[in-house]
Amino acid sequence: MANFFRGVIRASAFIRKEIFEILRQPRLVATLVLGPFLILFVFGIGYRDQPRSLRTLFVAQANSAIAAQDIEKYGKSMSAFLVYAGVTDNLDAALEQLHRGQVDLVIVEPSDAASTITNNQQALFVLYHHEIDPTQVSYVDYLGWLFVGEVNQQVLRSFAVQGQKDAVNMHANLQEAHQNALAMRQALQSGDDALALQKEQALTGNVDAISLAAGATLGLLDSLHPAKDVNAGPAQSLLNELRQSASQPGSTAGTKDERLARVDKIDKDITDLDARITEFQSIDPDIIISPFRSETKGVANLQPSVSDFFAPAVLALLLQHLAVTFAALSIVRERNVGTMELFRVSPLSAGEALFGKYISYMLFGGVIATILSALLVLALHVPMLGNWWYFALVVCAVLFTSLGIGFAISIVSQTDSQAVQYSMIILLASVFFSGFIMSLEMLWSPVRVISWMLPTTYGTLLLRDIALRGVDPNWGLLGGLIAIGLGLMFISWLLMRRLIMSSH
Amino acid sequence: MAVASPTDTDQSPPVQIKDSVISAQHLTKKFGDEIVVNDISFDVPRASIFGFIGPSGSGKTTTVRLLTGVYTPTTGQVIVFDHSPDKFSQAERARLGYMPQLFVLYPNLTVWENLNFAASLYGMGLFRGKRLKEALKFVELYEHRGKLARNISGGMLRRLSLAATLVHDPQLLFLDEPTAGIDPVLRRKFWDRFRELKDQGRTIFITTQYVSEADNCDLVGVQNNGKLLLVDTPQGLRQHAYGGEMVDFQTAQEFDFQAEARLRALSFVRAKTIRTGPNSLRILVDQASTATPDLMGWAQQQNIQVKSLEPYVPSFEDVFVELVRPEVEHG
Repeated sequence: MANFFRGVIRASAFIRKEIFEILRQPRLVATLVLGPFLILFVFGIGYRDQPRSLRTLFVAQANSAIAAQDIEKYGKSMSAFLVYAGVTDNLDAALEQLHRGQVDLVIVEPSDAASTITNNQQALFVLYHHEIDPTQVSYVDYLGWLFVGEVNQQVLRSFAVQGQKDAVNMHANLQEAHQNALAMRQALQSGDDALALQKEQALTGNVDAISLAAGATLGLLDSLHPAKDVNAGPAQSLLNELRQSASQPGSTAGTKDERLARVDKIDKDITDLDARITEFQSIDPDIIISPFRSETKGVANLQPSVSDFFAPAVLALLLQHLAVTFAALSIVRERNVGTMELFRVSPLSAGEALFGKYISYMLFGGVIATILSALLVLALHVPMLGNWWYFALVVCAVLFTSLGIGFAISIVSQTDSQAVQYSMIILLASVFFSGFIMSLEMLWSPVRVISWMLPTTYGTLLLRDIALRGVDPNWGLLGGLIAIGLGLMFISWLLMRRLIMSSH
Repeated sequence: MAVASPTDTDQSPPVQIKDSVISAQHLTKKFGDEIVVNDISFDVPRASIFGFIGPSGSGKTTTVRLLTGVYTPTTGQVIVFDHSPDKFSQAERARLGYMPQLFVLYPNLTVWENLNFAASLYGMGLFRGKRLKEALKFVELYEHRGKLARNISGGMLRRLSLAATLVHDPQLLFLDEPTAGIDPVLRRKFWDRFRELKDQGRTIFITTQYVSEADNCDLVGVQNNGKLLLVDTPQGLRQHAYGGEMVDFQTAQEFDFQAEARLRALSFVRAKTIRTGPNSLRILVDQASTATPDLMGWAQQQNIQVKSLEPYVPSFEDVFVELVRPEVEHG
């Protein structure tokens, strides 16, 4: 028991020593607290959730298929993404402006769009940019896709408008067909077969005219309704049925009742088709060409802002970096100062030294985490939907595991600068692989092994779940994090034992 | 019975040692091809002050590190408290006090905090404040206890190191140049304290560049170029250095060459005499206590009027130079 208490006293020497040494550096403490807070604060007020608008110059040849005003219209219709900078017919001059940074994007209209499309090929818009940032290049690609989509929509819109105009003629033909069907019915009822035949011929002419006028209009009309027949939409089916009924041999064929029934069927088809045409005409052309839209609805308890979303990741990354750096410098400094020689002669064990250092840095990291979390929640209003105790548990686990990394670094490092460099590599790896700036799903699966070796990865996911989703921590993740920490502690203990106990 | 047995065969009779706390046998330490400690053997008796003197780079610090277990010997064996230092238990380590040559505590801690840290390292209980205060008062740092270590002088840092070594009241102290950079008054105080500790039964192994401090030791080892030239008492070292003891002989008249030749022919006078003036000589004799009355009698027979005749005790600097001279002359 006495040995145990002496061990506790020896470990406590490090707790006091490390805390005093840190407190002697108030600027360091202030930087550790205020630095991340200010970064998040400035990021929060500086971040704009809007796409970048590119100053765009269009190049169209003088004999362009697309009129300059249409180009301007297309450009201005995408004002959220493009700042219309004019149209020119001089590609070289436009590219020169691009090189000089006077514009961000040059869109070159296809030179002979009409003949290209006639030859069953897509006409090509070429987008020139001066970006080297892959994300900005992707943005320009996306913008090109949006722009061509907009142009295509405008073309489709003109088709739709034309279809609605054509539908006016169809409507007249249908009215005439309806009149002829009524007249044919009356003739059949009165036994005037000659008149019935005459009206039947007129009706057949009306149906042919309707078929001719329908053209693409029926396609547009059918696009608004779900198809039952894979070969034809409802309007097209109706027209086919009408044509079939109207083209049957001689209206005198069959009994009177059969003939009357056929006329009724034709008239019903005409009425139905007319109703559909009327409906088509009443629809906005923009709805016709883009009948569907999407809307996203999250089922999470909260939709955080971008800075809110990053706050847990910043906290996890800061705590990891703080713990790794402090621990990494801790033992290498003991070695450089020469205290390791003193430790070797003294009764101090590796476990006691490590235990003392773990506790001191956990306490220090805990205080920093508490202050920073309070600032985030109270000053920046970052939401905290979950349980604070779970939050604290995750913070402790992140600190514990990060300290293990730091101590392992410290024991294998020969100099301060080596230890700092290793710590910076861990930081850099965390920025890229922990899901801090991009989702883990964007990484190739084997590379994610690195992600799962970093405390920040676990910390970010767990703290986000607790703070922003308000759920309990994923115990599997938390267990994994603590298991890594225990493994690192064991490795650090072995290395420290060799360092303290073995002589040269 | 252990024996101080320097490797140099041309030595005075070895000192007989009972109950040794440290026993080093044929210790050699190499770093690469460089031999830093070269086949040294010696024993340190319990409750004694064992001084290790030698010039800078002679291997003193490496020897201390071998004895404390910081280094393992390339060949040879060290036994401390009946164990090899690398097999020490925590309890045995707690009986040691080690003051390294350089300050190895923390510049960002205060004097008190540093000492408190050292006391905790040795598992001293929570009520250790009194011991800390005593240790600091002894090294005259109590008034400076609130100062950061980085803000005190080099001498004060040495004093703090010494306080940190003594604070847990160790049985065996390894002090590597504890008086370097300390003013003479405080050095004397340190040595008084070391002797007190010895009287209380503590054993002290101490290295120093101040050769004169060897006089304070019970046994002195002289090390040069990694070799242990000699281990003996301070008096024994003097005798060994000059081959005997010396007396200063001063006459009223000028001492002529013929009289000097007759003097050298006396049986108790060694061949070597040194002229220190026209009427004074320094004479090497077997034993100063017996040679003095014989010299007085010889002077009366020769009608030589003696102005003074007294033993001469050479400084340890001179003794050290004499001891090291053959090593230097042989390259």
